[in-house]
Amino acid sequence: MNKIIAFSKRNFLEIIRDPLSYIFCLGFPLVMLVVMTLVNDTIPEEAHMELFRINNLSGGIAVFGMTFIMLFVCLSVAKDRSGAFLVRLYATPMKSGDFILGYILPVLLLAILQSVITFAASLIVSLIVGIELNILGILTAILSLIPSMVMFISFGLLFGTLFSEKAAPGLCSIIISLGSFLGGIWFDIEGAGGILEQICNVLPFHHSVKAARMATAMEFGDEFIIHLLITVGYSLVIAIVSVIVFKYKMRADLK
Amino acid sequence: MNAIETRGLTKRYKTKTAVDGIDLEVKEGELFALLGVNGAGKTTTVRMLTCLSEPTSGECSVCGNDCVSEQSEVKKLVGISPQDTAVAENLTVYENLKLVCGIYGYPKEESENKISKMFTLFRMDEVKNSRAKTLSGGWKRKLSIAMALISEPRVLFLDEPTLGLDVLARRELWSVVESLKGKITIILTTHHMEEAEHLADRIAIMLEGKIAAVGTLAELEKLSGKTGLEESFVEIAEKFGKSGKIGSVSERGEAE
Repeated sequence: MNKIIAFSKRNFLEIIRDPLSYIFCLGFPLVMLVVMTLVNDTIPEEAHMELFRINNLSGGIAVFGMTFIMLFVCLSVAKDRSGAFLVRLYATPMKSGDFILGYILPVLLLAILQSVITFAASLIVSLIVGIELNILGILTAILSLIPSMVMFISFGLLFGTLFSEKAAPGLCSIIISLGSFLGGIWFDIEGAGGILEQICNVLPFHHSVKAARMATAMEFGDEFIIHLLITVGYSLVIAIVSVIVFKYKMRADLK
Repeated sequence: MNAIETRGLTKRYKTKTAVDGIDLEVKEGELFALLGVNGAGKTTTVRMLTCLSEPTSGECSVCGNDCVSEQSEVKKLVGISPQDTAVAENLTVYENLKLVCGIYGYPKEESENKISKMFTLFRMDEVKNSRAKTLSGGWKRKLSIAMALISEPRVLFLDEPTLGLDVLARRELWSVVESLKGKITIILTTHHMEEAEHLADRIAIMLEGKIAAVGTLAELEKLSGKTGLEESFVEIAEKFGKSGKIGSVSERGEAE
């Protein structure tokens, strides 16, 4: 356990001391929260467009922010692998499980903090625009986002393990684009319908966003459970794949 | 007991044999240099001895522990300062050392004692709270060695420790390495003749993955009939190149 704590602490410090992590993981999502709230103000009520109302927007923005957490996990792992730092640690009594948990746990904490800050900002915005947000709903939304956090962190671990420091961020940007576009953060997927809706329903991102939105609205019916279970399923699969790939690559590095 | 023993140690990659059946014995407390040009197989040898790479064939052990079947034991006995400076760039010097203490599971008080010892040994107080990425090359190397040393390994591997350092930083690092002589077994890889000549008790000349000669400086000079390590190295390398095998020079450093 000592090894995991020591390595987690290092990874935590490495990320929070990188100024870019504040810009991408906090600044950008919060700016989008404000911008989209302003956009929502310009949409006439007759349009019945509620996507950018703060009660819908907050869950989507929380998921959007997580995609950048994925980017930083990915960069961190790829950078460690390309340099000699991991070589040094491979020669210590650390095992592959220590490395994996050491990468995942501190970022999970950061992702929870990010969600708390996003929802806190949403709460302030909601008071300004006069839309009520339920505190219990927000807390449940943060909890319902934990599987999504695990999923995005696992994506980061997977790409950072498989690809170089140069290639990995590019691949992460594909997931960032897919996550925000096909997650239905910026447009109404149900309204679009057709094959686009089917694609979105096959992928996990829309389910993450929907689960968070429904939790925020305290709608805990069957639909919420289905969205949450699909997200949990994807998270487990991607987490297992990333762990297997990391262990395989570590063994291959030591051949 | 020897600190290091290898028997027919070989590492083959798809098309290249990086290390070709080397036999080595390094005594405890010895400062042993692996000297060779780039690509001679020095780093690959170190990687096998530190469990970072599995031998294709042959055996290697550290303090009697097999590097393949007893990796956990070997990892407790060795410390490595890799060729590239392997430090956590966004952590301070103190935090880097604390990280290694945490990985080895030392209690807080013991960690602080060990860190304090390293600060004294490497005279690093002035950079204690500086982040690693802001350090000069010389300081980074010192930190890298301190990180390898803090677990009090019985065998310390220094892979090209002065690579890329200016002459002053190199001399300063030499004095640190010299201060460790006799207290711990040190395996030093280098392609600087002066470094091996200045620091090592014994020197193994590695050429094309093989040990072309091994001995003290005096023994290598006697073997080659030349004076100084550089001249001896060139002579041995030429003999090796002509014969294409190590038969022209004994592995124990004796002329055949």
